[in-house]
Amino acid sequence: MLMIRHSIGSRLLCQTTNYRIEKQDDRWLISLSVDEETASTVLDFQDELNIFEAKENEKTWYYSSDSQINFQPNEKQLVILADHKTVYPTQ
Amino acid sequence: MIQICPAGTRYTVKNEWLESNLSFSFGEYYDTSNIRFGPLRVFNDDTVQGGRGFGIHPHREAEIVSIVLKGQLKHEDNLGNSGIISYGNIQRISAGTGVLHSEFNASNDEEVRFLQLWFSPNEKKLTPSYEDISYDVEQLQNNLLPVISHTASERVAGIHQDLTLYLSKLDGNKTLNFQQEEGRKIYIFTIEGEISINKDSILQSQDAARITDIHEITIQANQDSFFLLIDLPGGEF
Repeated sequence: MLMIRHSIGSRLLCQTTNYRIEKQDDRWLISLSVDEETASTVLDFQDELNIFEAKENEKTWYYSSDSQINFQPNEKQLVILADHKTVYPTQ
Repeated sequence: MIQICPAGTRYTVKNEWLESNLSFSFGEYYDTSNIRFGPLRVFNDDTVQGGRGFGIHPHREAEIVSIVLKGQLKHEDNLGNSGIISYGNIQRISAGTGVLHSEFNASNDEEVRFLQLWFSPNEKKLTPSYEDISYDVEQLQNNLLPVISHTASERVAGIHQDLTLYLSKLDGNKTLNFQQEEGRKIYIFTIEGEISINKDSILQSQDAARITDIHEITIQANQDSFFLLIDLPGGEF
């Protein structure tokens, strides 16, 4: 499960199981399928986003410190280039 | 202008272990007209039941201040800091590029009440840091006691923003004057009691005031009162 949350108060902006994370040098390219309305909501907060990948007993926290996020309307793909990753236990 | 924000207008989150009264948009509460007051982004008045709390979670790009009013709050973070703070202590976390922390009620029996405030930092990508200080509670009496400031000292926690946070306990009918540079803002929250600002604006317990374009105020306690005042920078955030 991938969740995109606002960094102030952790409001949930988007949640999906349809996503992909690829390592690119020292960054992570996160792609997810979303509709335009959801993409618009996420982009409204592009400077204050936290991305969480939730697995059993652990979460991985990503963010893009330079707000590298865009929406590709033809593919309906939201693409985030994250430069931070931290894994932490949830229990 | 003095904008009074009555306690009852705060958004309340309540469950079996937490009551949180939110003065600004936070979590499930989102109001586009109530996002911030200058660099002040979050002002949560939290009461946590015994043995419960907020498990490990991350933050970034925020100056986070916790002021315990009652009970004990146990802090742990991935910077290696841990400790228990209570009334008379202030905790400041500069989340910067990222910090993981947990905050739990240190007691299994007594509730803990604390104010959690978040401010926008004056610089991004700061190295994360943690500080807790003890202030002299005797110095609160009929005095504006600075407890957080961009110029830190032994009994004043440092913060990466051009602000000073004061606490005060004012005896009934006593007055205090406060003056700041033009262009700045003032935020006042009444923790207990009732105060008047410039005679006309009355703040009852847990009411707040957002003050702009008035840089000299007189605060009078209508009864024994405990309040918080923040001298905030003006400008756009």
